[in-house]
Amino acid sequence: MSAPSNLRHTQTARPTSPHTPQQPSRSGNTSFASTTSPGSTFRNEDDAIIFELGARWLRAGFEGSGTPFCVVGFGPEESRRVGDYRGWIQGAAGNGPLPKPVNAEDWARDYELWQPDLRKVDLGLLEDKIERLFRETYNQYLLTDAGSSRLVLTLPSLMPHPLLSSLLSTLFSRWRFPSITLLPSATMSATAAGLRSALVVDIGWAETTATGLYEYREITTKRSTRAMKSTHQELGRLLSRLVSGENHETEAKDDGISVGFAYCEEILTRFAWCKPRTNDGEQAEVPAHTVLIPSPTNPAQGFVDVPFSRLAEPVETVLLATGTPESELDDEEKSIPLLVYNTLLALPPDARGTCMSRILFVGGGARIPGLRQRILQEVSFLIEQHGWSAIRGKAVERQRQRMEDLRISSRTNGQKPKPTSENGDTPAEDEKIDPSQEVPEIDFVEQKLRRQNKDIPVPVQGVLREVESLGAWAGASLVTSLKLRGMVEIEREKFLQHGLAGATRDSEPPVPDRRSGLRAGDRSSWTLAGWA
Amino acid sequence: MSRPFPYTYISCPCADTPVPDPARKRRSRESPQKPPPERDTEANEGQDDAKQSADKDDEEDEDEEQTFDPRSPRSNFSLYPPEQLLYCEDCHQIKCPRCITEEIVSWYCPNCLFETPSSMVRSDGGRCGRNCFNCPVCTAPLAVSTIENVTGNASGQGPWVLSCGYCLWTTLDIGIKFDKPTNIRSQLQKMTDSTTGPAFDARSRQGSRAFGDLKSPLSNFASIDEQANPSERDTEQSTSKEDQTPTPHLGAEARFAALKNFYRTQISETSNSPSDPLSSEFGFSSPGALNRLMSLYASSSRLSGLYGGTKKTKSKPPVMREALTASEGLRIASGDADSALVERIASPDCGWDGVASLSQRTEQSPDVRFVDELLPLPVLLRTKRAKRCKSCKHILVKPETKPQSTRFRIRLIALSYIPLPTLRPLAQSSATSISGLAPAPDLNALSPLRPYHVLLTLKNHMFDPVRITLATPSVTPGIVATKVTVLCPQFEIGANSDVWDEALQNATAPLSDRITGMRGGEKVPEAGKVWEKGRNWTTVVLEVVPGTLPGSQAEDGQAGNTDIAATFQKDEDVLEIPVFVHMEWDAEAQLEQQNVGKASKPDDLVARELAYWMVLGVGRIQAAL
Repeated sequence: MSAPSNLRHTQTARPTSPHTPQQPSRSGNTSFASTTSPGSTFRNEDDAIIFELGARWLRAGFEGSGTPFCVVGFGPEESRRVGDYRGWIQGAAGNGPLPKPVNAEDWARDYELWQPDLRKVDLGLLEDKIERLFRETYNQYLLTDAGSSRLVLTLPSLMPHPLLSSLLSTLFSRWRFPSITLLPSATMSATAAGLRSALVVDIGWAETTATGLYEYREITTKRSTRAMKSTHQELGRLLSRLVSGENHETEAKDDGISVGFAYCEEILTRFAWCKPRTNDGEQAEVPAHTVLIPSPTNPAQGFVDVPFSRLAEPVETVLLATGTPESELDDEEKSIPLLVYNTLLALPPDARGTCMSRILFVGGGARIPGLRQRILQEVSFLIEQHGWSAIRGKAVERQRQRMEDLRISSRTNGQKPKPTSENGDTPAEDEKIDPSQEVPEIDFVEQKLRRQNKDIPVPVQGVLREVESLGAWAGASLVTSLKLRGMVEIEREKFLQHGLAGATRDSEPPVPDRRSGLRAGDRSSWTLAGWA
Repeated sequence: MSRPFPYTYISCPCADTPVPDPARKRRSRESPQKPPPERDTEANEGQDDAKQSADKDDEEDEDEEQTFDPRSPRSNFSLYPPEQLLYCEDCHQIKCPRCITEEIVSWYCPNCLFETPSSMVRSDGGRCGRNCFNCPVCTAPLAVSTIENVTGNASGQGPWVLSCGYCLWTTLDIGIKFDKPTNIRSQLQKMTDSTTGPAFDARSRQGSRAFGDLKSPLSNFASIDEQANPSERDTEQSTSKEDQTPTPHLGAEARFAALKNFYRTQISETSNSPSDPLSSEFGFSSPGALNRLMSLYASSSRLSGLYGGTKKTKSKPPVMREALTASEGLRIASGDADSALVERIASPDCGWDGVASLSQRTEQSPDVRFVDELLPLPVLLRTKRAKRCKSCKHILVKPETKPQSTRFRIRLIALSYIPLPTLRPLAQSSATSISGLAPAPDLNALSPLRPYHVLLTLKNHMFDPVRITLATPSVTPGIVATKVTVLCPQFEIGANSDVWDEALQNATAPLSDRITGMRGGEKVPEAGKVWEKGRNWTTVVLEVVPGTLPGSQAEDGQAGNTDIAATFQKDEDVLEIPVFVHMEWDAEAQLEQQNVGKASKPDDLVARELAYWMVLGVGRIQAAL
């Protein structure tokens, strides 16, 4: 994950815009196309199987259905030996308290399929896990022969290459998948919301990503390590402090976690919440009541009372970075509202206007009640405070004050509409006064356009609005069932020859290649597009 | 550790052949800065490319000769109980679930044992389509019973409910009653349909699919059809709009159907324009549209070149738009819903048990959050699968199709080819010589640094005698260094001849066996000698000296043992011995492998060998000395 720049700016992540009439061109072309690969055109008769793969969960199902057949998690129970039934005898690991405090990283390691830091990942073990995971998913839930039909993988558009390579080579060498299509999850989430442009905020496991999509293309992505993993760890620390008593709350920061992961996750999914935003002055009305949660020391028997407001703390401190001044935050650990704001800021103004009224929250964190609303409130506060300008600081503030004074004085003196610009900042200052309250300029072209398509409603733009998505899996299912071809379609034979290195380095392949649906096109080279 | 001690596991040899990554070779050549993870600890930054690849090769060679480590996390994926392994007669190799391919023979419900035809599996969602349900709260099977039964007075008539015999959950808790006790699945589907919105059940989904099929590929070029289609669709859409406006929140499935419908409409509306420029509306031609046009023209007349159609693109095609109304699948989030959720979670009448747990939630539709939203789960179907060898495609297992039958037409299990290992501790005669019957040592608490004797019996199921060579690292891998010695590493196991043959030939043999068995307590294990031998089995002795646990050393007051304690894994105190088994036997050459000329000699023998690692779980080492 070290060099996102070359990955991000390729812009070709979702090539097949749904304009494409897939069926007509395909059938119109079979007579010619059959020379290249006769089987391939008939291959699609079997419904493709769609997998969405993340660090914690796997979703699988058939194309065309709205919800996946199954959601499978990873944990230590999944990597036991065959015939090891301790999970059933003693109860799953991670429910009870741990014998001794564990480092927060080790605590979560058994429960994730991979970490973004691949230096610590044993790829062989990862391959073993993936193989078992897919095999059991097919045998238990999908109930179809593995490898017989096309496979569609929905992956985050930034996957470390060793990971991607391990994943693909495991799947190709273990089963006879004719081809594997990769679809970027951010774009799929937008598709599943019925949108073409969106800001997709994926509050995932290891990191939160905010992806600006415009007309199905990923324009910009920013990421932050403030995500569900650290939230889990924070809640784990909180619960460990409950175990050890409140007295050394301050020094316990770096201590290990002494409660089980599964227990902690259970509490997080049930009771974690997020307070609504309070304005600076007023005190937040804290719900005084308490809730009963299973006792951290003995979850099977006892219950303890915990103030409900405390269960909002991990979310508050980790995801929203409350209590940490913005200047303290490193680049990779910006709070989520800041991340959203920065991503919007990085977008070109037109795209920004479109994206800011199409914000999607996906990923595990999006299920925390109140969080999404809170993030939007924070973002709108940031916009109110700073406008769309990246320039901050006292000096700028002073400068602006001076310009304002100047303007007022010049207005009162000479009725000049604008102060003559002494330095380059002036136009920006003008814009910054309050763009939202200015009367918009009358744009003749725009008006003409409006008049010409009266029946087409004007798209919502420029206001913060959240749209709900059905999730990346549903989006992939939708796209696949519409018979749209993904840009990254990796064929078995080609992959087995050269692996990932066989992909053309062209991030923007020649135009004829992109008329999707045509097998006759030059398919001898394949591309990784956004994943390259 | 998984089973009661002692136990044996066999490692499938496929673990030695890693997943071939075609790119790996090239990758290492291209980017030497990415060493494989296990090499990170070695400081080899300054090495040049060639040397690196060279020592990588060395390392791979070393890998082949490395002893198997039962504690490595990867070994969990290659170790199998001996009875779960298969054997391919053509490859002469052990086959584990990873090196076979599976084909589904039949689908059936494990609850009612009805077979489901393959055409119905998909539409039923891979679940039983009849009356079999699992409790959404505790996953116990649900029973169909009348309300009277549940409430107490039995009359045998009236509305029916599903009730859980374990946690006493009934469908009444979620307000669902059934009119008749049969076909519960479809009744339930109808009910959830009406509550979550239209187009939920499989039938209407199939309907929409059929509708999509109507649009045959060829007809898309004929503009007349296309002219007719959108108008049809418009009317349909408007009617559906009317249907859906009263239900502001569609369920996930309904929303998906709405979205799908919307995209279909959009695609067909935007794709008919090139043939009919008059109907085109104004719009910005997105690059996608451009490409599509180009491809259309390029495919119809290739000679005109790739950009032959550029002239035509002036007629602006309509753009696809995004979904704008709820009936098109758009859903704007409302903040009130979330705050209501928070209030509900915090309210005392919800509590811990009111919120669905993680495992309950994963089985349900993604929106479910509370226990009273859980729906009964139709039982997942199971399959009977035929298994083939992955490399040679020969069938290894073929079950009968009928769900009720447990018979197999073909089943090549590994135990009929490889010797079955069993392990048993030898009673410590020396320690407790006073009493005649020496107690077997407690395997769950082996005391460190004290020699134990373990009897390893290998039982041959083949009709040929087998020569076995055992090898084991003298010190087990891992933190706890246990010394292991196989007292008799080379021995022979007799053929699995007919039991009666043996009995008739030398009737005294079993008796003498029994006598030696009786005398077992007095016998002393000797190096180089087989402990016991029977018709088709042989027992040898392993001497094991368990090492000390790092935790027990902490009592000595050594510094720096916290590091050891930190790395001390959970099952580190389990004593597992990796043993390499090499077996050789002379098999009768199979017919298909013989030459035609040799076929006349049926008794010519082929030497065969097989080698694999197995893991013997002896016991758990005590912490204290």
